[in-house]
Amino acid sequence: MAVNETLSPALRLLHLSAGLGGPVLAFALVFVLWAVLGAAQLVPEAIFPAPWSVWAAGREMWEGGTLAQDLGVSLGRAATGFAFGASLGIALGLLTGRVAVLRWLLGPLLMLLRPIPAIALVPLAIVWFGIGEGSKHFVIGYTVFLTVWFNTHHGVEYVPETYLRAARALGASRRREFLAVIVPAAAPHILAGLRLGVALAFLSLVAAELSGASSGLGFRLQEARQYLRTDRIFALLILLGGIGALADLIVGRIGRRIVHWQQG
Amino acid sequence: MSAPGDLRIEDITILFRGRQGPVTALPPTTLHLAPGSFTALIGPSGCGKSSLLNAIAGFLVPASGTIRLDGAPVTGPSARIGLIFQHYALFPWFTALGNVRFALRRFGLPRTEEIARARAALAEVGLGAHERKFPQQLSGGMRQRVAIARTFAGAPQVLLLDEPFAALDAQTRRGMQELMLEVWARHSATVLFVTHDVDEALLLADRVYLMSAGPGRLIADYVLAQPRPRSLTQDGGALLAIREEILARLHPQPSAAPSRSPGIVATCPERSQP
Ligand SMILES: Nc1ncnc2c1ncn2[C@@H]1O[C@H](COP(=O)(O)OP(=O)(O)OP(=O)(O)O)[C@@H](O)[C@H]1O
Ligand SMILES: [Mg+2]
Repeated sequence: MAVNETLSPALRLLHLSAGLGGPVLAFALVFVLWAVLGAAQLVPEAIFPAPWSVWAAGREMWEGGTLAQDLGVSLGRAATGFAFGASLGIALGLLTGRVAVLRWLLGPLLMLLRPIPAIALVPLAIVWFGIGEGSKHFVIGYTVFLTVWFNTHHGVEYVPETYLRAARALGASRRREFLAVIVPAAAPHILAGLRLGVALAFLSLVAAELSGASSGLGFRLQEARQYLRTDRIFALLILLGGIGALADLIVGRIGRRIVHWQQG
Repeated sequence: MSAPGDLRIEDITILFRGRQGPVTALPPTTLHLAPGSFTALIGPSGCGKSSLLNAIAGFLVPASGTIRLDGAPVTGPSARIGLIFQHYALFPWFTALGNVRFALRRFGLPRTEEIARARAALAEVGLGAHERKFPQQLSGGMRQRVAIARTFAGAPQVLLLDEPFAALDAQTRRGMQELMLEVWARHSATVLFVTHDVDEALLLADRVYLMSAGPGRLIADYVLAQPRPRSLTQDGGALLAIREEILARLHPQPSAAPSRSPGIVATCPERSQP
């Protein structure tokens, strides 16, 4: 703190923004800019609503009860899809990363499937599962699965040779080598995959809900567009961003606690 | 049948696949390590020392020849042959205690006994107070002590060390060498110790082999009968003469160069640094 007192105000601001206060400060600045733009009424409300209009629209949806319901439905879908996709991805990644035959068989397939965006899967999901919950879970689960699989596979494939050698020279059975060496050694990659998976779950959630849904944040976005409620669209987008960032933060924190030995 | 830990390296050759056909890492080599002996191996960088250790450990298959431990061919890694690497190879997700317990697991002990034995092993290397620390929280010397405790806990008959103390500063290294001798005296294993430090070899080993530049052959063999602990300054005479000879062979001088100052270490410029 003694250091701070000797700094000029401008430097102190920089110092603050480098620490925990950084993101908060950045948001505050952007918000002020947005409010100034809104007050000046340079852009029509229907194109770019002012912060207070967005806040009012959010309150309106909250008080009408739809927001809480949509939020619940969407989070439920994201969580279900994530759970399926992540567990399948980890399981398959552990196998393909370690079993040569499976790697040979499925490796090229992984390369081919990875670039397909979630939205492109929606038509297929509807053909296969109809417009019910199944297709949403499928789209979300699939995207999460792919990225978790890829990361797990990678982590397991590149376990440092020295760990494996140490384990074998210490008489570890194949089973223990897998559980006590390969899995923990790959854990940082697996967790990175899960974190990406969370972000993708939100991405694909909206993709899945934009067509053929009757509830959820994605559906509400579509509905707001039909009624030209830009204020509602803004409120929903901000909410989506907020939840996504929060989920990412939580998974990141948990991950760092699990792989505590990993620095940086 | 001799005592356990009789290691016979019979005419083994080690090849690696290169861009233009196979590259010889180790020409045909024969070496016998008597049970409970402590052998040091010195040679220029790239002469095949690590390759030889990896073959004995069962990590790579020699192109020809056999390696026998107590008569049975070595076909792959096993707990009978322990290793200590230069870079510790401790598991960062386990504590010091967890790392030692990993080595004890194969004995199928009850949990409490396993923990008690792991604690004793750590206490033996002076780390009793640090059992709950993770490797990243320990200094280089402490990590290597955990590695020593872990390896001896597995009760190997043969112990292979590949420049285990090379990454440590000189003072820590001396301490580790003494510790190594103490622990070894208690557990008795047949040791093969690769080092670049001639003094280290002379202080520890009862036999020193010298290899030529790669692909290296065994070119000299010194038997050291001096009792341990040794000192190169006091009981020096014979040891100092051997040191001069080894250093001269490792660094042949074009002119009849005067002997090197004591305390010098046989380093090679291209050796990878930690
Ligand atoms: N995996 C590998 N593939 C190809 N060549 C290798 C491989 N490992 C070692 N070699 C080659 O084999 C030779 C012997 O290497 P080795 O690591 O055994 O030497 P070393 O005596 O341990 O050297 P240093 O003192 O530097 O550790 C070298 O020429 C090296 O380039
Ligand atoms: Mg080497």
